[in-house]
Amino acid sequence: MDLETFRKELDDWLDRHQAELAPDHGVLPTLDEQIAQVKKVRRLAYEPGWTRWGWPERVGGLGGSPLLRAYLGEALTLRDLVEPSPYCMIEVLAPTMIDFAPPELAAEMVPRLLRGDEMWCQGFSEPGTGSNLASLSCRATRTADGWRVNGQKVWTSHAQHAERGVLLTRTGTQESAHKGITALFVDMDSPGITIRPLRTMHDVDEFCEVFYDDVAVPFERTLGEVDKGWAVAMDLLPYERSTSFWHRGTYLHRRLESLLATVEPGALGASEVGEVAQLLRAFQARSRSTLRRLAAGDGLGAETSIDKVLIATAEQALFDLAANGLPAEILAGDDDASRRWRTEFLYSRAATIYGGSGEIQRNIIARRLLDLGPDR
Amino acid sequence: MDQSDIELFERSIRQATERSSGEALDAALAEVGWLDALSLDPHVAVSTLFSQQGSAHVTSSALDWLLTSVLGLEHDPALAVVLPSLGSWDAPAQVGTGISVRGLGTAALRRAERAVVVLKPGDDGSCGVLTVETTDLQLRSVEGMDPDFGLVEVAAASGALDHAPRETTDRWATAVMMAQLALSHELVGAARAMLRLAREHALERIQFGQPIAGFQAVRHRLAETLVAIETADSVLAAAWDDSSRDLAATSKALAGRGAKTAARHCQQVLAGIGFTAEHHFHRYYKRILILDQLFGSARALTENLGRELLATRRLPQLLAL
Repeated sequence: MDLETFRKELDDWLDRHQAELAPDHGVLPTLDEQIAQVKKVRRLAYEPGWTRWGWPERVGGLGGSPLLRAYLGEALTLRDLVEPSPYCMIEVLAPTMIDFAPPELAAEMVPRLLRGDEMWCQGFSEPGTGSNLASLSCRATRTADGWRVNGQKVWTSHAQHAERGVLLTRTGTQESAHKGITALFVDMDSPGITIRPLRTMHDVDEFCEVFYDDVAVPFERTLGEVDKGWAVAMDLLPYERSTSFWHRGTYLHRRLESLLATVEPGALGASEVGEVAQLLRAFQARSRSTLRRLAAGDGLGAETSIDKVLIATAEQALFDLAANGLPAEILAGDDDASRRWRTEFLYSRAATIYGGSGEIQRNIIARRLLDLGPDR
Repeated sequence: MDQSDIELFERSIRQATERSSGEALDAALAEVGWLDALSLDPHVAVSTLFSQQGSAHVTSSALDWLLTSVLGLEHDPALAVVLPSLGSWDAPAQVGTGISVRGLGTAALRRAERAVVVLKPGDDGSCGVLTVETTDLQLRSVEGMDPDFGLVEVAAASGALDHAPRETTDRWATAVMMAQLALSHELVGAARAMLRLAREHALERIQFGQPIAGFQAVRHRLAETLVAIETADSVLAAAWDDSSRDLAATSKALAGRGAKTAARHCQQVLAGIGFTAEHHFHRYYKRILILDQLFGSARALTENLGRELLATRRLPQLLAL
């Protein structure tokens, strides 16, 4: 399936099924509603194959370029059919399963994501482990009949809605740093898991604290090799920074469109509008070339830190612009549309913090792209 | 051109720009066959030459040759093109009671016998174009910020050119696009050169017992510089891929702004040595200030884009995957 045909046929299918696909919720969906909508869209799009293109056949896909997945997310986002955050999870976690899970486990589990049966989450960060991921301490201990996991994760997105999770655990000594980490695939309803959603400044309980108290995980649920979980974590980045970023960029494009359509004449200056449009354009251009490299089979690496800096910069600039153009809505509006602008504005403050902070990205750029040697 | 042709061409252009500037570079470009390359593969010809020209801090008549070619005129080394005024991309001449001109020229115009003058578009959107004797124009060789660039101020009082035969062209917008792409490459090339200078300095300069490249404050400035450069370069590549006027204008804005960002960070990293006349930094800095103003400054292009978006309340479509 080539991209042009896919684009044409998908657009046509979306037009014809608009009514069934449309969300039941209003402009400010709850998290539950957002996830129900993503699952519904996936379920409807699975049968005709739309969610299967771009994934390998051995996990229930129909093969083809990852550009097909990128376009699917774009088309759904431009039609306001899915929210980007719950939608993009699959782009990050399915490739991890494909690359690292035992083949029969991947073949069993990935179709559940493609069909919209399940949501998954990703347990990396810990209270003592933010930017320094290699210092994580949630421990997995070997027993006769499998792993026992003890410890705490934090900032686990959608843990409360997730059926399963990819978890990074400490299996070596604490000093072994990135050499003693093992990735596990965990059922989130396992006994011993306690999930506590965090209330954040943008009023959405998307992030959770997750406590693991003697949680049993079978050995067959090990992703990659024991003590080689760092490779799993690193493998994930190129996926997050290709299709997933493209979807988020599409969403930002859509929001700038809405802002232009909503704002009172004279509320915004031409220069500030032009600059945000240029930043979004720059992100799209960068992201498109990253996607094309991914599709061509080129390895993606440290250069995607530039993509991350660009999208974070564009996202914050866009919502700063929204705050300039819609001050009454963002500061004092209590209708749903205003609340939406407000929560998005506040969420955008985190864009330079999550997924590797702005400082970490610049460290990577300095070390790996500019070859400036070790920092002191 | 196939890959090996491109590599050979790039090598020749690099050698030419490393060894010569001005008229000598024009001669070298003629020998390399840059004009043939331009008709064969404009993307390769323009991107290779102008990024090298920016990086090596040299000048040539290539912008004039490029514009002549896009305007559909016969190549002629004695012919130069009158450019828009500082900051602007409007055609430099207008028709009032007679034709008047306010514009600029590159060093090529100082040597030229004839000049191409494009008139602002009429109601049908097409522009008038005249070829005039340079003696009919008032030319002032500019010393200014960057004497090496060889800028010329061009004027013609109303009526002075009315005798010249006038044709029409619908290619001014394309000429603007190509000039913006060329100048964006030159700006990106110059910004990369500034980054190269600052990076080398950061690795060699020892303070507090270690290279200053080890300090995060320095590293982050250089990282920021690379982000600014790659931002402009990404849009530039997309502008060629999609052959889009809008993207060319955006790339010019981002290249102009990005080069200034690069200069700010690199100068700070270079510190004292970068403030001396002996160090190369200041030459690049002064050059990018001029290049930013040709065929639309970052400021003017950004404001223009914003005005259009606010007027139409619509965004252009997402880039096609």
